[in-house]
Amino acid sequence: MPFPSPSRTPSGVRRRSLFASAASAALLAGCAAEPRPDAGRSGPSAVDRARARAARDSRGLLEQYDAVIAAHPALAERLAPLRATVAAHAAAFEDGSPTPSATSRTASAASSGASATASATASASPAVPTREKDALAGLAAAERALADRRAKALPDLPGEPARLLASVAAAGAAHAYLLTERGA
Amino acid sequence: MSDEAKAAELKALQAALAAEHAAVYGYGVVGGRISQARRVAARSAYDGHRAQRDALTREVRDLGGTPVAASAGYALPFPVQDAAAAVRLAAELENRVAGVYSDLVRAAMGARRVAAAASLRQAAVLAARWSGESVAFPGLAERTGEAAGATGATGTAPASGTAPASPSATPTA
Repeated sequence: MPFPSPSRTPSGVRRRSLFASAASAALLAGCAAEPRPDAGRSGPSAVDRARARAARDSRGLLEQYDAVIAAHPALAERLAPLRATVAAHAAAFEDGSPTPSATSRTASAASSGASATASATASASPAVPTREKDALAGLAAAERALADRRAKALPDLPGEPARLLASVAAAGAAHAYLLTERGA
Repeated sequence: MSDEAKAAELKALQAALAAEHAAVYGYGVVGGRISQARRVAARSAYDGHRAQRDALTREVRDLGGTPVAASAGYALPFPVQDAAAAVRLAAELENRVAGVYSDLVRAAMGARRVAAAASLRQAAVLAARWSGESVAFPGLAERTGEAAGATGATGTAPASGTAPASPSATPTA
């Protein structure tokens, strides 16, 4: 037998763009004809809101990375892969979303009250600690807090969006580890 | 919860259990090759996977299933002949375990989903600890383009008892 290969459902099912919803289905033509086993558990709008919030949170985190990199250029190389991952998370949540939904839920606590838009606003971001180690610890805390918050949101989501969010939360926890444990 | 959903959950639990059996085996190999400096971490991960395996066994029973048994042997994804390869194997084991837990997150609800997410998180952190690298979407094979040598995922759930492949490294646990 092969070594632990996670049992996989047929690939067609897994190719679905996550957080797919009725509203965004039109953009998922390439992934059409997928079963929607999740339908009915949670309305599309709830999933849309969760997706929008997740995208906003990841964009907020991205801004924090940019702020730290701007303040501590020496950390740029080390942070680059983590930052790229956070950008991939944001893109995954935005994937299939018609517009960056402007649902106005204000609870986006840890990721600063700043807008969730573009990334080039590093200089306007909140103060970054002057010591590199503290700056890294701040990023780690933000990653961890967001991962915890995302874990709490899982029970309310349909299966596939929950799977994506759980994965991204796990990545965030791994980031927190890498930011604080590795050579810090 | 519909019968269909229940069946999907049981199937995902069994897949997680099979992966934990394999992880326990794999960490046995890791333990035999890992450097002294990382032996404690390997032991701790080994114990963690044994505990997970036992918990999943109970859960499968709770759902009325018959827990899948460990296979007689497992083919390692690559030869593990030194400490560096042992570390790579440990990271690979965690990545694979992450895959089954992400599926369990999807299939399960409520407390079981929350627990699966915690296990996924644990696997991702351990993978980062072994590899020192960040994985963008732990457990989501379709989003990683199968990075680090995850071999051809044949999609066969490790069924018990059939065609045991002889391991390419001798387990030492």
